[in-house]
Amino acid sequence: MKVSKKILTILKKNGVNFFLSVPCKLLSNMISILEKDKEIIYSAVPREEEGIGICAGAHLGNKFPCLLLQNTGIGNSVNAIVSLLKYYKIPTILLISYRGTPGETVKAQYQMGSITKNLLKTMNVPTLHCNKFGDLDKISKYVVKSKKIGTPVAILCDFNLMKADQ
Amino acid sequence: MNRFDLLKLIQKQIRDYHVICNIGYPSQELFKLDDRSNYFYMLGTMGLCSSIGLGLSLSIDEPVISIDGDGSILMNMNTLATIGNRSPNNFTLLIIDNGSYGSTGDQKTFTNEKTSLKKVAMGAGCKNVIECDGIETPKVLSEAIKCTNKSYVIISKVKPGNIKVKSIPLNPIKIKERFKKNIIKS
Repeated sequence: MKVSKKILTILKKNGVNFFLSVPCKLLSNMISILEKDKEIIYSAVPREEEGIGICAGAHLGNKFPCLLLQNTGIGNSVNAIVSLLKYYKIPTILLISYRGTPGETVKAQYQMGSITKNLLKTMNVPTLHCNKFGDLDKISKYVVKSKKIGTPVAILCDFNLMKADQ
Repeated sequence: MNRFDLLKLIQKQIRDYHVICNIGYPSQELFKLDDRSNYFYMLGTMGLCSSIGLGLSLSIDEPVISIDGDGSILMNMNTLATIGNRSPNNFTLLIIDNGSYGSTGDQKTFTNEKTSLKKVAMGAGCKNVIECDGIETPKVLSEAIKCTNKSYVIISKVKPGNIKVKSIPLNPIKIKERFKKNIIKS
């Protein structure tokens, strides 16, 4: 719970107040915390691309949105990230469980795992890779950047980091 | 009656509300009719109009109207489930169902065949789902906008066809910034 709590505390401290999630086992602690949090708006969504759309609407309504998703979901939302979030300069936090990283038990996850960083780089999405607890302190900088220049940013959370938090 | 005729018919009803408008001809036709800063025109991401409207309506108290199309709804049907379960009372989803992918060459959509968006929306959990002809739409829409304790999904059946329009000359940042000014004021 330590990692999940720390990530959410940092996001909320920096003004993030609208959360959506597409489920991943590694994000389940964070989702449980969000479900009970009365200070923010939270909902589950069935698919990542739709979540990007809802995040864009939340931004129009002066909220600061965050979508929790597995890295496989980046593949489902490439067009929405570039043609909506990037094109209209919409600050959004993409909080991503980074499957296919060391510790991963599902072989199929390595397919998206191996291209995730390149995909984000191609889309020009500033990306923070967290593989140890100390890396979480850098999240603030990325949240501030998202708001300042109007861009989605990606926070990639490694398998082992999140697994240890379960 | 086609989409443009319907937009003309409802123009006065929607002009003072926050409107999210579908990509392509719907936005271009609305722009031609009456360009307003409280209209958010989509320039990309077909399918997400209803989702953007939902996100906005969850974030503010004022009424929000999404003007979507059958082809776009078919592309992102899962959002009907999110709307069905989470939609706040200030949200009206108006689906202009002309059975046609108007912006890509008027190919027919499945609403011409076996798919009923009314049944899909109801099955997804949406309440107050009303299917009507274009001509009846102003009355239904007026009820939906006035009713502050219910969310609505309106499926307005019209004929296919587009009018000659130019691309929207506004850049996305301009569309967004001027739209947001209305939100701050209200």
